[in-house]
Amino acid sequence: MMPGMPAANGGAIVPFSGEPHHAASVPHVRPIRHGVAPPIFRVYVSWSSGNLLQVACLRQPSPEDGGGSGSEEVAGRVVEVNLGVGNGSAEVEKEVDEAEMRRIEYGSVPAFALLQSRKNALAGTAAMSHMQAVPEHAEWWQYVLEYSKTIGYLLGNPDSLPAPMIEDARAILKVKEKPTSLKAAWELLEIFYVDKQLHSWLPERLVDWLADYDSLLTKTDGTVYCKLSNFQKKLINLQIVENDPDYWNGLSAALSVGWLDVVVNMLRFHGSYQLDQMDNRETENGLVEAVAVLVSTMPRMRPDLPTGKLGQCCKTRPDFIKAWEKWRGQVSKLECSAFWIQCGHQKTRDGLKNLLHIMMGNIKDVTAATSHWLELFTSHVLYIRPFTVGFEGMHHLAQKCIQLKPSFDNNGLTGLLTGILSENPEVVLAECTKKFGPWMVTHAMELLAADNDYADIMLHEERPNFGGMSIEELHRLVYAQVLCSHSLTWQIAPTYLSSCLNQGLGLLEILLLKQPIQDNRLVLKTLELCRLYELENVSTNIMKIAGIFHWKHGRKGTGVYWFQQAHDKVRLDRIAQQLFERIGESVAADNFKQWEGLLELLGSDIGSAGGLEFLHRYRDFKRSLQQALEGRTAEAARQTVEFLIQLMRNPSTPQRFWLPLLHDSVMLLNCKPRPLLNVAETTLLLNKLQEVSMAKLRPDYCSNQLTSHALNSVRLALASNLACAILEEP
Amino acid sequence: MADRQVAQLGPGAACCGWNHCGRRLAAGAVDGSVSVYDSQPSPSSKWQAHECAIVNVVWLPPEYGDAIACVCADGTLSLWEEVAEDDQLPTWRKCKVFEGGNSHILNVQFGLLLSSLKMVTAYSDGQVKVYELLDSLELDKWQLQAEFQNITDPVSRNGKPECVSASIAWSPRRGEGQQASFVIGFNSDSPHFNSCKIWEFEEAHQRWLPLIELGSSEDKGDRVHAVAWAPNIGRPYEIIAVATCKGIYIWHAGFNPEADRGLSTENVAVLPGHDGEVWQLEWDMGGMTLASTGGDGMVKLWQANLNGVWHEQAVLDCNGSRD
Repeated sequence: MMPGMPAANGGAIVPFSGEPHHAASVPHVRPIRHGVAPPIFRVYVSWSSGNLLQVACLRQPSPEDGGGSGSEEVAGRVVEVNLGVGNGSAEVEKEVDEAEMRRIEYGSVPAFALLQSRKNALAGTAAMSHMQAVPEHAEWWQYVLEYSKTIGYLLGNPDSLPAPMIEDARAILKVKEKPTSLKAAWELLEIFYVDKQLHSWLPERLVDWLADYDSLLTKTDGTVYCKLSNFQKKLINLQIVENDPDYWNGLSAALSVGWLDVVVNMLRFHGSYQLDQMDNRETENGLVEAVAVLVSTMPRMRPDLPTGKLGQCCKTRPDFIKAWEKWRGQVSKLECSAFWIQCGHQKTRDGLKNLLHIMMGNIKDVTAATSHWLELFTSHVLYIRPFTVGFEGMHHLAQKCIQLKPSFDNNGLTGLLTGILSENPEVVLAECTKKFGPWMVTHAMELLAADNDYADIMLHEERPNFGGMSIEELHRLVYAQVLCSHSLTWQIAPTYLSSCLNQGLGLLEILLLKQPIQDNRLVLKTLELCRLYELENVSTNIMKIAGIFHWKHGRKGTGVYWFQQAHDKVRLDRIAQQLFERIGESVAADNFKQWEGLLELLGSDIGSAGGLEFLHRYRDFKRSLQQALEGRTAEAARQTVEFLIQLMRNPSTPQRFWLPLLHDSVMLLNCKPRPLLNVAETTLLLNKLQEVSMAKLRPDYCSNQLTSHALNSVRLALASNLACAILEEP
Repeated sequence: MADRQVAQLGPGAACCGWNHCGRRLAAGAVDGSVSVYDSQPSPSSKWQAHECAIVNVVWLPPEYGDAIACVCADGTLSLWEEVAEDDQLPTWRKCKVFEGGNSHILNVQFGLLLSSLKMVTAYSDGQVKVYELLDSLELDKWQLQAEFQNITDPVSRNGKPECVSASIAWSPRRGEGQQASFVIGFNSDSPHFNSCKIWEFEEAHQRWLPLIELGSSEDKGDRVHAVAWAPNIGRPYEIIAVATCKGIYIWHAGFNPEADRGLSTENVAVLPGHDGEVWQLEWDMGGMTLASTGGDGMVKLWQANLNGVWHEQAVLDCNGSRD
């Protein structure tokens, strides 16, 4: 979904116009296929992550419904709708499948993050030095170019296919990786917005671009590419190519857009080159070859020529102008030559002359040779106004070409180019949004603002109507929502959210809190993200949620672990209290092992609340007692008795534990030949015992299953111990 | 295909609610049973919660476990939580039942504030009760914190209104130092009770106060069918959507710390809503898109453009055929 953006069928967004969005435009209606028989009684919705909307459609329930058996009809269905896809707005969905798009999404994260960190570093430096960061700014576009190249490579490498083993001499168009309009659009933006070095040879760059992506310009109207590939198919069955008008049409089309290598290659198919023809058609062949030479020596203003490309490379403008004048002279000279009269083959004569006229910049011939307005535009730039610099007059020229060759196929690429040529970043942004989707917009904004102050302001200005967000931030949030809508991509959304100064972190918090906590690996991943973006309060919350989930689902230990991680004192105290109460209820029962582990987990640092301190001492006593009874060593026995005395002396030991504690110790007291307690200690314990006996009479006494038999056995044990102790004492 | 079927509801299903992450769904049925679905077509649990029809199912915040509140047609409210012992399969346990008394409980919503859980219940006689959970581990101990009527002016209290339904939404803000607040509106025969008001808990005097009324003088008493408070990821103002019989109203509410208890509201849009009553309003996680459902069987999505103008962005038609 795209807040602030027009509906899929709406016009371009021009946020400065002040004109409200035309509500009159009918919104996109999408039928939901749920399979529930109409009429629908109620519809419930719920947003889950990102653009995912759960829609529950219910039928009218009848009172006799329910109870399992009953009507065969489905009472209701829940459908998850991804509002970010399938609304037909993004051209990319058609040509880039989901897995490929995911590869691009993942691949672009490092480049984006690097660029953001460089931006932040530059801003930091500028702020520190309290001055304009002019020298840094001058280099900024180079950083963006590096970023652009990385992303461009990710979108597909046209040269990645291996060269065919046997070069087919009659192949007109080289087999390449299928171009995508996503990559084509990206390159357009790079050419016009980022690469400063390119500006002097923009026309040539456009020729190169067209060579790669001409096939994408339109699906319904014709293109040069289309003409050539049709001719290629026909070529196998052609005996004499020069008699076929499509041969000459193909030649003029290829020449008009500057595909010199294609032209020269095709000229060599001419029948006059065949050995048996040489004698009779010498002049004709000479003319064909002369044209081929002129084509292959056409001056081109560019830093270099890749292998396989023809033309003479001119690095500087004066060189180019000089070479161009000279070359044009040669073309004119050939055109006026007397040899034409000796050329007996009419079609060859006309065809070659046509090629010369194109090279001489004849508007009529150029217009006839091209199919699409962008091709016409390119040939204008190449042959009619070869000395154009930068954007000079380009928009006007484009308008003229569109008038001459109107296209009804409203293609994203041409729309984008019109926006670029009219120097209107809003239109470019709107085209990107409409045709290429949120990934493209989010990443392309960096290109737009690389060296364009107007675009920079347009993208970064805070909009009060949107809660103070900038357009850049809005698009990043929208893209992040798309990423959130899939379980395989939500993890990369934080990179984009954290790059939004105003509202990104707010959305990130919500995103992280919305992650289910049932899966422990997912919890760890979420917590890692919290740590990375310093969202301590969020991680605390997640730990609390995980804690209660495990606690309630019978995994007490894991629950306590998470509560501790979250420093959830309230709940830990509550657990300690529960534990304490439970142990108090049946202290003699042998559930020692069970609570011992929990007590261990709770630790001792959560304060004395809930008698946890007592429980720790009690645990020590119990352990020691066990050792003493098993090992029967005098030392262990003495240790146990010491714990007992400590516990009984400690005011924090609740009275209801006194008797159980003493009762636990009876066996130990009885089994030793020598008294374990001295007179004073025994007296203390007897006093406590007396207190317990007295307390029994009080109404608020809470009994804990220990019978009077227990009381008696303790009394007896203590009495005999006292007797021994008195005898022993000096 | 972008649409994915996630669950098939059993016979008698009458209402449903999703948990915080949208992965679990609880559906209440006319026979009083509740089914819980976990990303599987068939339910993971099903039990008899009430004797008669369940009219609303609401999940508690996840900080209190996997728990739901069921509003029953007989006017009672029950709380259920999922528990398990060791490696046993989880089961749903009844924690608490709230009786309606002389009136019916119409709706319930839970709010999370610092470390306490609050529950607002609305009654058919126009009463509003706020409960607070006393024990952070158990859902059975609740304390009635406040009881009031949804009116700003005590003079307007005349007789008991007959309320058909009530709409409640808590403020989703949950940061430190946030005051507890919620918005509530009724669908009743009394205009004073109907109008949506934002109530805020005043710590100093430990009481709930009506902060402001969302409504212009002529629309104030309109019956309210749904409210939704948008998540705020950084806006300086809050956005609240209110659906009445006249349409969907989008309100901006700005908490102004300088003015004394100052809160300014502005109605920024009146959207046509649905052909028929609006059933539900629901904001997306960024608070930028509002989804509404209504009597025409449509789901409509609303957004503001960069000029702040609200418009209908897309429509999902649920009246479809069986294919």
